[in-house]
Amino acid sequence: MIVLLLALPLAAAGILARARGHAATVLHGVAVVGTLLAGLVVAGGAVRGTDATALGGVLRVDALSGWMIMVIVVVAALAGAEAPRYAAHGRALYALLHLMVFTMLLAVSTDDVGLMWVAVEGTTLSSVFLVNFERTRASLEAAYKYLLICSVGIAVAFCGTVLVYYAEVVRQQALAEHSAHALRWTTLLALAPSLPPRVIEIAFVFLVVGYGTKAGLAPMHTWLPDAHSEAPAPVSALMSGVLLSIGVYAIARFKPVVDAAAGPRFAARILLALGLLSLAVAAAFLWAPVNYKRMLAYSSVEHMGLVALGLGFGGALGVSGALLHVANHGLAKSVLFLLAGRIRAAYGTVELAAVRDLVTALPFTGRAFMIALFALLGLPPFGLFVSEVMIFGAGFRAGHPWLAGVALALLVLGFAGLLRAAHRMLLGTAPAAAPPRGSWLGTVPIVAALAVLVLTGLAWPPGLADALALAAKAVSR
Amino acid sequence: MTVVSNFLAFVALGLTLLLVWRQSWRGRVRLFVGQSWVLAALAVALGVLARRPALVAVGVAFAIMKTWIIPRVLRRMAHGSPLRPVAPGRSVGLPVLAAGALIVVAYAVMLPITGAAVSGVPTRSAIPLAFAIALIGLFLCVSGRDALDQVIGFLVFENGLFALALLTTYGLPGIVEAGAFLEVLVLVLLMEGVLVQIRREHDSLDVDRLRELRG
Repeated sequence: MIVLLLALPLAAAGILARARGHAATVLHGVAVVGTLLAGLVVAGGAVRGTDATALGGVLRVDALSGWMIMVIVVVAALAGAEAPRYAAHGRALYALLHLMVFTMLLAVSTDDVGLMWVAVEGTTLSSVFLVNFERTRASLEAAYKYLLICSVGIAVAFCGTVLVYYAEVVRQQALAEHSAHALRWTTLLALAPSLPPRVIEIAFVFLVVGYGTKAGLAPMHTWLPDAHSEAPAPVSALMSGVLLSIGVYAIARFKPVVDAAAGPRFAARILLALGLLSLAVAAAFLWAPVNYKRMLAYSSVEHMGLVALGLGFGGALGVSGALLHVANHGLAKSVLFLLAGRIRAAYGTVELAAVRDLVTALPFTGRAFMIALFALLGLPPFGLFVSEVMIFGAGFRAGHPWLAGVALALLVLGFAGLLRAAHRMLLGTAPAAAPPRGSWLGTVPIVAALAVLVLTGLAWPPGLADALALAAKAVSR
Repeated sequence: MTVVSNFLAFVALGLTLLLVWRQSWRGRVRLFVGQSWVLAALAVALGVLARRPALVAVGVAFAIMKTWIIPRVLRRMAHGSPLRPVAPGRSVGLPVLAAGALIVVAYAVMLPITGAAVSGVPTRSAIPLAFAIALIGLFLCVSGRDALDQVIGFLVFENGLFALALLTTYGLPGIVEAGAFLEVLVLVLLMEGVLVQIRREHDSLDVDRLRELRG
């Protein structure tokens, strides 16, 4: 089943690279639905506690992988449903979108640290062309920065991976032949207590800088606002909604290894520092945004900072809060980026000042944008409220009241800026009314995603708490 | 084995310093090719001495990619750019001095890696040299005023990391090594596409002209 889940988007990418016209759209639809169903089946089994393996253990899906697969396929389905609006500009969109989904799924479902690295690098390479999809000067610049900065970052992560391997060599005091199991999570976790702590510490610093670049944590976030604001909406949704979280996932996987080898405080301190810095950088920008797509992009820096804080605070509460936040943020942010794409199509600009009276100009898009923004702000009854309460609760419980307090203050700063922007966009006096467009079909995925967000906020469906606890156990032991 | 690895890593680092000093683009590409030959030789030598045929194969693949395919792409990238010194009117001494300082930094950072009671890794004394190559490459990449400088800086960085992987663990398992090679290749090709388009738009590869996106 895992093999099928990975083969589906890969095959779709291969076929769609050649397909054209109406057939391509139909095929794209089939592939999106197929990936969604396969992903939910695999994830459903894994979060109930039955780990699945394939290809001799190279692929292994545990509860944490299952959780990530679920987020990936749901956001990919949302983005996939929106993609036909953009595909007319270039046929490569469908193929590259599926290729990107394949690399993301591979990154979270492999047991091999090295293969995960290859897959994460693949996510960058498959999305560079998508960032430069509109071929303007700005998108070109964004693509160049994205390619260069993320490649450097991921090369640093390679260095970290090599050093983790070296730690095993040091432990054995001999350079044996490369064994297929040497770089497996299962092997690393079992060996972790006996690995040399100083080597593992240095390796983790490299890994955090490397994968942190992909996760958009400050100060390695400089590529993010450019790439996320210039990419077409479905790509922005995928990049902000899940691709960032995959960087965090990679860090989270290494955390228990470091905790066991070097003591629990080392990784936590680094994650807390980066998380707080991300919140500060984002708050500074969110105070007075001018471009609504950049505003959403900086908000992603903020939320990745929150997730890093959750992992840093640790404990079952902090980690499950962080994981729930990954899912909630993925849903809310991808919906917002998709709607931002529709707003841009109607108004022809991404300037905040040009968008006025959205609620009357585009009744559905405007209202949905408002609701999703409220969800993003962490207002009840939406899921982000719950996950933020969990993260900060973990902070106070873990004995970091000052740190949690400062983070909360920074969050409020960003909150105020976002709210002011929302007020200006949604209300205000209308300019020349833009023509409403689109059919009711386009509203279905958006409404469904918002409904799920209410569900994770108000009443957890049965099994969610168990799944979350099980996934968190992979990170905090 | 210690002598061979120390010598080859030292030569590669020397070529890196020359590359920092050299200001012409063609000269830099030639030095990059030279450095890649040395590192390929390192892989082959370690493969022969440690009796690992796979490592010899890695060395050969590395040589084909870094001394033949990538330099071809690099020359295509630069095709049409005016042949001017890389940084007119800027001191050459300062970057070389900075590179020297980075070697010291590399030794300091790698102290716990090489200083630990490690036996069984005969190549460990050369590890800081490889890390220094990577750091200097990163420095070239960050300080480059021109997209071509940044690309060659990245490739030197990449070479340094390849050397680091060789010296610490004799490279990584085959599938990872193959994936890494494939991705460097795709990256360079993508970079060529982006640079061609940047030159068409801006009539230059000066990164100071990339200033659409601020804030």
